Amino acid sequence: MKDKLTKEEVLHVAHLARIKVDEEEIEKYQVELKQLLNDVDKIKEVEGYDEERMIAPWQKDTILREDEPGEMLNPKEVLKNAPKHSGNYIEVPIVISESEGA
Amino acid sequence: MSNYIPTIGIEVHCELKTKTKIFSDSINGYGQMANSLTNVIDLGYPGTLPTLNKEVINLAIKAALILNCKIRPVMHFDRKNYFYPDNPKNYQITQAETPIGYDGYVEIEVDGKTKKIGIEEIHIEEDTCKSTHRGTKTLLDFNRAGVPLIEIVTKPCMESGEEAKLYLEKLKELLFYSDVSDCKMEEGSMRADANVSIRKQKSEPFRTKAEIKNIGSISNVKLSIEKEIKRQEEIYDKGESFPPQTRRFDDKLNDTVLMRVKETGNDYRYFPEPDIPYVHITQEQIEQVRKTISMLPDERRKTYQKLGISEVNAKKLVQNRALSDYLNELLEEKIDFKTAANLLLGDISAYLNKMETEITKTSLTKEKFIELTNDISNETLTSKNLKEILTTIMESEKSISEIIKEAGIQNITDNTAITEMIQKILKENQDSVVDYKNGKDRAIKYLMGQVMKESKGSLNPKMAMAILKEELNK
Repeated sequence: MKDKLTKEEVLHVAHLARIKVDEEEIEKYQVELKQLLNDVDKIKEVEGYDEERMIAPWQKDTILREDEPGEMLNPKEVLKNAPKHSGNYIEVPIVISESEGA
Repeated sequence: MSNYIPTIGIEVHCELKTKTKIFSDSINGYGQMANSLTNVIDLGYPGTLPTLNKEVINLAIKAALILNCKIRPVMHFDRKNYFYPDNPKNYQITQAETPIGYDGYVEIEVDGKTKKIGIEEIHIEEDTCKSTHRGTKTLLDFNRAGVPLIEIVTKPCMESGEEAKLYLEKLKELLFYSDVSDCKMEEGSMRADANVSIRKQKSEPFRTKAEIKNIGSISNVKLSIEKEIKRQEEIYDKGESFPPQTRRFDDKLNDTVLMRVKETGNDYRYFPEPDIPYVHITQEQIEQVRKTISMLPDERRKTYQKLGISEVNAKKLVQNRALSDYLNELLEEKIDFKTAANLLLGDISAYLNKMETEITKTSLTKEKFIELTNDISNETLTSKNLKEILTTIMESEKSISEIIKEAGIQNITDNTAITEMIQKILKENQDSVVDYKNGKDRAIKYLMGQVMKESKGSLNPKMAMAILKEELNK
């Protein structure tokens, strides 16, 4: 088992998190991230881990909501926390579609 | 050019017809002022928690049922992680691992044969906010953020743009008639992506595929697939290849254009959504939902044809849900359905279109419509007379017989009265009677004209002609 991640793996994770890392940090994370992964692998050794995985700290069903409208925010309130707006729209710099939702 | 076999798979995103959003109680609406239908959950504020809308589950079960899918008894949601301004919480809640429905099918008619289009899965997810690109900026409207969606994914089983079109038409009709979605492609409540690849033989593995994203109409789905097949054929015929890619259909160019090259595939790091624990679906719940499914389009068309309505009219009725629903409430009545269909699709549709209204908003009650259908089918009301009183029928509370009486166009159905009137006309037009007896065909047409004039068009022409001939031949 290797004891550290490759430099590329660290850079990939850094990119996913949109953070900049310098050479020194890369070396540090190569070791630290690998240690984290090893710890997670240890949890997986618990018997029956994969069969009954918990996705929440309790096994109860989620609580469903009736389809009834509630209170909404005034558009003015919505725009307050946006650095820029154009009319009632929130304005952001154009992003070249690198990944798209839905 | 050599022959290739295209393979096409379709993904459809469809907005569910709920009152509120999937994880928050703000209104699910379209065409409202930007950012007026939101709350802190839709905006992805830290510390907010989603609560799942019960109706979303019901509508997704319904979609699964009408698409003949198996329904998963236990499911959960997953986070799809990505950074993009259309989703400020940086993940979309979706179902990657446990789609609610799977392994279903939709039947389409291809060249007179039934073909099953396999449904791989149906999963539930939230819509993102709508972003509009303007020059160097992007404008965001969160009214759409958190609108419930189902994504319906077919197996790679279609072989032409035409099949894809037929599938989408069928899917749209089913989802619309079961009230799962309003399926308005022009408003984006139904959006289609197509995956296209081609190969020489079915024994050959699939070749590189291109995904055409967000196509805005069914006819453009067909067109873009056909263009894409041709593009790929030309590349292979030159002995070249192409990398996997995402394209979009450009309305102005009438062709697909490259969006971005898929390099390593996106790294979405899916994991189970911890804020929404398991959802169990019981058989009882499924049966409850099944009861709410109204008669589906195929069954409607079949039923109408069994009742004597022509195939063309049966199809036309199903294309107009309001008229079809109206007729469906009369299925137990003993009326002439052929006449009823002609009335609905003819004069009544013309009136509704002219007045830009719906049949349920007029005064044409079921009772009145039955009376009207009977009057027309037993010829006590001529279509000419109907045109005169149609507006009154549609707008007044009075019964058909009252309206006919008041309009003074009571049809003369009493044979004696007609005979008397005809005898009078014959007396006044002795010359024509002689002409007729001498074999001049035009004479009877003239006499018939006089009869209709005298009766002011209130006679049933067939009946009048029969009596006229009888009198002339005496």
